[in-house]
Amino acid sequence: MASNMNMSVQQLMRRVSEALFYVTDLNLYLDTHPDDTKALRMFAEASANAKACVEAFESRYYPLYATSADCSDSWEWLVGTWPSQKMQ
Amino acid sequence: MFVFTKMTQIPVKINNKNPRLASYILSQYGGPDGELGASLRYLSQRFAQTEKSGIALLTDIGTEELGHLEMIGSIVTQLTKGEGAKSFDRYGVGDYYIDHANAVYPASASGVPFSAAYMQSKADPIADIMEDMAAEQKARATYDNILRMCDDPDVTNVIRYLREREVVHFQRFGELLDILQSKIK
Repeated sequence: MASNMNMSVQQLMRRVSEALFYVTDLNLYLDTHPDDTKALRMFAEASANAKACVEAFESRYYPLYATSADCSDSWEWLVGTWPSQKMQ
Repeated sequence: MFVFTKMTQIPVKINNKNPRLASYILSQYGGPDGELGASLRYLSQRFAQTEKSGIALLTDIGTEELGHLEMIGSIVTQLTKGEGAKSFDRYGVGDYYIDHANAVYPASASGVPFSAAYMQSKADPIADIMEDMAAEQKARATYDNILRMCDDPDVTNVIRYLREREVVHFQRFGELLDILQSKIK
């Protein structure tokens, strides 16, 4: 696995979207299989991984959540590619 | 409540312009089997659900569909970005340009504005989930129709992904139906 520091914004975004997708898919599965112990373990792992991926992205590039925006100088929330825009 | 995330579920990066293709894909924004109807249907039906797994699944799939609505809007925007009146006209969608120019407006491919009449909310969990399963299949079939019209790989990648999600949602709603029916027995 490439180190976060060597990943472009697109590569790191792909990693975030894969990690969050895995969480979403397991979430839906658990809604109808709430006692599946294997899936519960997978969710715990997927969730921790997604959190780490989001943090890596946000510390390197720009906030994905408004609560992560830096506001010491200016409103960092405006920075970055919004879903309507094409990532360069 | 909802928390916005500044990203799409998978990246949307369309390099070519094609206003006609955009007008077809717009149907999954505000058309009869589109993502707006899907998200409103599930997020409305959940209020009458009593089973926890039903409330959770309708909330979670309804939320994912809102994200898909955003992805469709993004495809439409990128396919038309910078295109002017003449380009829309050449592509045969001058009528859309007259009313909305480069905006994203919730309407079907044939131009009918979005209507809540596309969906139901009955407070009857079996009736609602049966409708939801049918809705997922209709959305899947619409994505199949779009794939038959589309030869831009940047677009088909995203559309194939969205199509696959409808199949997964159908599966989950089927499992929920089994849970609800087992409670009745």
